[in-house]
Amino acid sequence: MLAFIGNRALLAIPTLIFISFISFVIIQLPPGDYVTAYAAQLRHAGEYISPLQEEMMRDQFGLNDPMIVQYWRWISDIVLRGDFGYSLEWNAPVSTLIWDRLMLTLAISSASLVLTWAIAIPVGVYSASRQYSFLDHLFTVFGFLGKGIPDFLLALILMWLAFAYLNMDVGGLFSPEFQNAPWSLAKLGNLLSHLWIPLVVLATGGAAGLIRVMRANMLDELGKPYVETAYAQGLSEARVVWTYPVRVALNPFISTVGWALPALFSGDVITAVVLNLPTTGPLLLQALKMQDMYLAGSFILILSVFTVVGTLISDILLAWFDPRIRNA
Amino acid sequence: MNAKNWVAAIALAALSSTAMAGSAWAFQEAPMLTEMVEAGSLPPVDERLPVNPTVVEALSVGEYGGTWRRAYSGPGDRWGPTKLMEERVLKWTADEDGTAVLTPGYIESYSVNEDSTAFTFTLLEGLKWSDGMPVTTEDVEFWYNDVFLNPALVPTIDPTFAPGGVPLELEVQDERTFTIKFAQPYVYFLQILAKDSTGEPSLDRPSFLFPKHYLSQYNDKYASEEELAAAAEKYNVAAWTDLWGSKGALTGWWNNPDLPVITAWKIETPAPAETVTMVRNPYYYAVDQEGNQLPYIDRIEHRLFQDPETLNLMVAQGQIDMQARYMGLDNYTFYKENEERGGYHIVPGLDSNVWSLVPNMNTTDEVLRGLFETEAVRHAMSVAVDRELINELTQSGLAKELQTAPVMGSPYYSEELSTHWTEYDPDLANELLDEAGLSERDGAGFRLRPDGQRFSLVVEANDAAHAKTLELLAENFADVGIEFLPRVIDRTQWDNNRANNDFQMHWIPFDRLTYVPADPRRIMGSDGYANQSFKWYNTDGAEGMEPSPELQQIYDLWDQASQSASVEVADGYVSQMAEIFVNQGWVIGVYGAGTVVNIVSDKMHNVQADLVQDDIFRGVGLARTQQFWMEQD
Repeated sequence: MLAFIGNRALLAIPTLIFISFISFVIIQLPPGDYVTAYAAQLRHAGEYISPLQEEMMRDQFGLNDPMIVQYWRWISDIVLRGDFGYSLEWNAPVSTLIWDRLMLTLAISSASLVLTWAIAIPVGVYSASRQYSFLDHLFTVFGFLGKGIPDFLLALILMWLAFAYLNMDVGGLFSPEFQNAPWSLAKLGNLLSHLWIPLVVLATGGAAGLIRVMRANMLDELGKPYVETAYAQGLSEARVVWTYPVRVALNPFISTVGWALPALFSGDVITAVVLNLPTTGPLLLQALKMQDMYLAGSFILILSVFTVVGTLISDILLAWFDPRIRNA
Repeated sequence: MNAKNWVAAIALAALSSTAMAGSAWAFQEAPMLTEMVEAGSLPPVDERLPVNPTVVEALSVGEYGGTWRRAYSGPGDRWGPTKLMEERVLKWTADEDGTAVLTPGYIESYSVNEDSTAFTFTLLEGLKWSDGMPVTTEDVEFWYNDVFLNPALVPTIDPTFAPGGVPLELEVQDERTFTIKFAQPYVYFLQILAKDSTGEPSLDRPSFLFPKHYLSQYNDKYASEEELAAAAEKYNVAAWTDLWGSKGALTGWWNNPDLPVITAWKIETPAPAETVTMVRNPYYYAVDQEGNQLPYIDRIEHRLFQDPETLNLMVAQGQIDMQARYMGLDNYTFYKENEERGGYHIVPGLDSNVWSLVPNMNTTDEVLRGLFETEAVRHAMSVAVDRELINELTQSGLAKELQTAPVMGSPYYSEELSTHWTEYDPDLANELLDEAGLSERDGAGFRLRPDGQRFSLVVEANDAAHAKTLELLAENFADVGIEFLPRVIDRTQWDNNRANNDFQMHWIPFDRLTYVPADPRRIMGSDGYANQSFKWYNTDGAEGMEPSPELQQIYDLWDQASQSASVEVADGYVSQMAEIFVNQGWVIGVYGAGTVVNIVSDKMHNVQADLVQDDIFRGVGLARTQQFWMEQD
């Protein structure tokens, strides 16, 4: 086991180096650089900066150096000093920017993940054990609808319904009057009244697919001889279903849980943009649009690290969870 | 607050019947500041204001207090909040008719010598920074010697402040008066100063002033290298020069709440933040006509938004008190529908842009260039456009059909120029094109160029919102036998195409048409219809393409204008420039003078209507934001 983990950890290092280099290069690929994107942004808003000022900015940010020099500067700062560099657009250290938004992102992502599983697993199991019943069909319809409607579209629709018919305040995390106010019960209530839309959107979007997978796996298992044997030995249905086939059906869930780790970190980008949530996803989107290379590069590097770590965790979890793999 | 005004008015009347003019005024201040005075943390208002503060005529005398809520789109959106509180020695403000005039800001008086080579300014007596320290010519000298002329901070001086290559000179007369000298006559200096201020860190800093008492410790002429390195470390920047500059950690007003300023509001919670707040400056130098220290409004809050739809939602929910930025005309119906629900109304402004088709007179395609240079072809293209239809369908009829010419409100405006070649006459267009030798057509009905190829134009735009307009134009042009191919491309790609002279025609809002001399480069072709010719002019023939004789005439006129001795003579030249530009018809204007949407809460007052929205006049700053006020319950 230890050798297994050690091996995988060693393999991770060249993978990460490769990923960091590729992501840094790709961010720089579109013509121009941050200064070009900034000038274009200004021009679009009706202002301008002179070519002289643009050159000064390029000098200041070191954008005239060859790509490999910029990459080396960036990566050595991270590895040797733990300094993720400066965001060109926000003029603040990358670590501060990400850290400020991290708590909220993790909170929303974790809550929606837990909610997703809490919905998907019982519903999937029910769907399988009562196949072709009315509720099964109902859940199936919702499943396909949920899978088909894009998250951000659902978010927009819910926002519109809340705005037009429920007269609720939508957008962002807090209403303006609570934004800078100290924490109180009222503020908590306000937060919940804003959070329900992202949670509903994210949870239903994710649950839909998982329900189908769970149902399919369960149907596979429920037909197997050992289930019939268990019934014959007098075990109750609940005992049989939940103790044995569910464990096997959960295998694919466990093996992909590692990938939930980077998703927790970045949140759902487009939904967050539409709902105006101050999470890390929109930060990444904006950084990519503006070619803010240190912020974007560092973010992608962090996500890659989490992906690699997450995959490793998945493998370990699977080995622990399923004795057949452990003893293979 | 009304009672207080009333008492103040009576007190004023009583005082003024016995007091000498101006010197014994009792000034009033905001309640939030009175609290601080009583607690002992601020000196009384008479000591904070200058001896004779600048009087800003408020449209109606207002109440103190309130928080002005608006939205910003990110750290790059510094200009939205900046334009709310910029200060200049002379600033563009709107008079009752909405015409922009230069009014003195924090100076007592100014004078220009006969040949416009020396400009003398006298600061207000008792003018103070926001931390209470006095503003004197020492701060001006600090700016000149240690910032403007310091190559570490300003590597190259902008030609606006170094006409003819010679940087401006400063001469200090006493602790309040100083003179700016140029080597050659600079007639439009004051107008350009009102727009650009004095160079890097530019537009958001008041002209000529830097707080010496605060910034000298971060300047290499006063501090040692170790001290500078320590400061860079403390503020988390790479080098000490990053502390300076418009986005600098110290001198960027947007970043540093400790920076002494003389603007009406200063930053309280800096970016990056969910809500950026600005708070009133207790030492602001202006009062209204009744002696109330301005501004009326206590705080300004900017909320971050990422998606334009989120902003529309904020407006509909009544979370915006006054904003023009990012309010698109295509959402006009939506804003109108929700006026009652959101508790706001729309105050219209005048857009100074003319949306135009800009052919590239310097295109590398020689045959096409030849066609563009033929006046009959340009005339035909202009009269082929059905401006009324486009206005009705895409602008809800809210704009006007205009040619690209100085707009209404500009001193160079003339109705004749604005309606030059704007009649819709496809028959005339067909006639002109036939006479120009393009009478042969191909199988699809499109005309053939002299070299036998189809006369087709690739027209680029960078905003998908205009796809509809371009489709309509394509139909108009097809009616006269020209193939019009619209392409909506990414912004950066678009900038690249212009920089590489790789386009045939594009669709842009042609701006700087209000006060032309403040930025005549558009009319001179820069970044537009004749960028290569402009380069030729700028580099004295070293780079670019030689301009046509008419364009050269414009360049010569501008040279004469910028060296004239008086504004009247210079204005005469500029008018001639505008005439040649419009009569040649190099640019095809379609519509302009559209409505600019200002969302104004029903509780906000003193927002003047029908003002021109232009970068030269600093956008909303023209409306004198310090005299806006909000009703208190």
